[in-house]
Amino acid sequence: MDIDREEVIDTLVKEVGKCRACRFCIDVCPAYQATEGIESMAPYGRIQIIKYLLNGMLAEDDPIVYSLYSCLQCGRCDRLCQAKGQNLEVSNLIRLGKYLLSKGLVKGSKDEKG
Amino acid sequence: MEVNRDKLRKDLAKIVGKEHVFTDRPTSVVYAKDTMPWDVEEKNIPYAVVRPGNAQEISKLLKYANEKLIPVHTHGSGTSLVGLARPKTNCIVLDTARMKDIRVYPERGYFVAGPGVHLAQLRKELANHNAMLPVFPGSELVATIGGAIAVNTSAHGVDAALGKPGDFILGFELVLPTGEIIATGTESTRRPAGIDPTKFFIGSEGLLGVLTLIRMRIIPLPSFQHIVASYRSTEDILDTVMEMYRQRIFPPLFFEYLDENAAKIGYEAVGLDEPEGAVAMMRIHSWSKVGCEDRAREFIEFLKGGSPIEARIVADLEEWNKIWSSRAEAGNYMYRLGMTFGSEISPRVDKLRDAFQDAKSFILNLDSYKGNEFISFGHIGAPTIHAYAFVRTKDIPNEVKKAITLEMREKSEDLNIKYGGCGGEWGLTAQRVSFLKKKYEKEVYEALVKLKKALDPNDILNRGNLQGWI
Repeated sequence: MDIDREEVIDTLVKEVGKCRACRFCIDVCPAYQATEGIESMAPYGRIQIIKYLLNGMLAEDDPIVYSLYSCLQCGRCDRLCQAKGQNLEVSNLIRLGKYLLSKGLVKGSKDEKG
Repeated sequence: MEVNRDKLRKDLAKIVGKEHVFTDRPTSVVYAKDTMPWDVEEKNIPYAVVRPGNAQEISKLLKYANEKLIPVHTHGSGTSLVGLARPKTNCIVLDTARMKDIRVYPERGYFVAGPGVHLAQLRKELANHNAMLPVFPGSELVATIGGAIAVNTSAHGVDAALGKPGDFILGFELVLPTGEIIATGTESTRRPAGIDPTKFFIGSEGLLGVLTLIRMRIIPLPSFQHIVASYRSTEDILDTVMEMYRQRIFPPLFFEYLDENAAKIGYEAVGLDEPEGAVAMMRIHSWSKVGCEDRAREFIEFLKGGSPIEARIVADLEEWNKIWSSRAEAGNYMYRLGMTFGSEISPRVDKLRDAFQDAKSFILNLDSYKGNEFISFGHIGAPTIHAYAFVRTKDIPNEVKKAITLEMREKSEDLNIKYGGCGGEWGLTAQRVSFLKKKYEKEVYEALVKLKKALDPNDILNRGNLQGWI
């Protein structure tokens, strides 16, 4: 995947801002189920983490990596979000969030590029 | 207040086990956020999130919190719409997610559930025992039984048809704010008469204790019939509800409506043809299939007196589910298109039409924002009007979001006072303390503060909710 940094960030800022924090997506997530219900290991939590990572309230650290990389990309949250009215491409946003981390595109991170 | 997080983590790990303590900032931020439409701030972010497994661990946690004077905020699934779920101060978040036992005892006439059980899961389990869960929030996929009973929310359920969830509570195991574990109520299906402490904790919004086990009477699963009716205007639906009460017609279990705008958005979202006018939908219940069919037919006859465009029984469950989704998810469908700022108006039933007109008028003339639309839907048979200021963009600064929220709150509170209501599903603290103070004599609020202080002298549990938020 070769995506422009600004494009990724613009997309994420715009899309994660649409999340209503209803948490309807949490129960269908295999990682949430496997962790007995830890919200930072659920789609809702990952979306919030990306949001607060982008606005500077969070800085890149190990728990963020664990959270985003606990996503299996199964897409159940996408279907749920669509069924419950919000229609966010949740798993794709998490994938882009992981991309930010893997490419060191997070502002202020020790690996920051560009 | 200075808190040494390393020390805190080690202390909490001794109580609940290290795998159930989180002091990392991302997890804390995730638990601080709720559905309120603005971002969390530093003051909301918990020091730690802990996930105890039983009453004994909660007891130790609360004793520790009292010793160290660290507030504790109870977390179910964070779905409150009036800010109950957002910590108001740096604190320890007590997440009930691990307390998910369900035990159904048909021979005793009750079931017990841990506070962290999600309502949809509980409904499914009870259905296996031919029983109904009398709690119907739109958030039931993830909302917890602990949260629902702590707020005593009716949501879709019409109080006059079934009562409130708290009417079916037989007793609790709970932990007082100072750490004592107590049991209340009865194991009989007959609820206690007289002073029963159970009642103090139903709807106490987590201010007076942490529910650790909820014992609830089993309700046999009734038969259902479903009705959908379209009307030329929302006002015709309001008149029908007022007439239903005036004629002493037994109300349906659910009696919902979508106004003309909400019906268009909702029907389009679920792939139904655009309806003509406003839509009402009802769920009739009765303990026999024949009785239920009779009730539905009689209710259709009653509805015809209100001159709907159409009123019919929906026998096809798939069609009903689609129609119901247009209502149940209406708030989400609107939110997809922009920002929504809601209200909960529950007027005296003979004032329903007046309250609706006033709500429409103030929402279309907000001081804090110009150019919004008015949309409404809700549990009109209860009656509850959810009147919304709808803005077709999400690009609004935080300060403006707060200003709209505040204006909506203040003006809908005025309507509840003017028309004798109080709300019936969102609870009365966090955002709505100002309403409590305006609606009742000052002694009422003072009595609540005294009650809180009597049980929670250090103001440990859910600090900030009874003080009022924003």
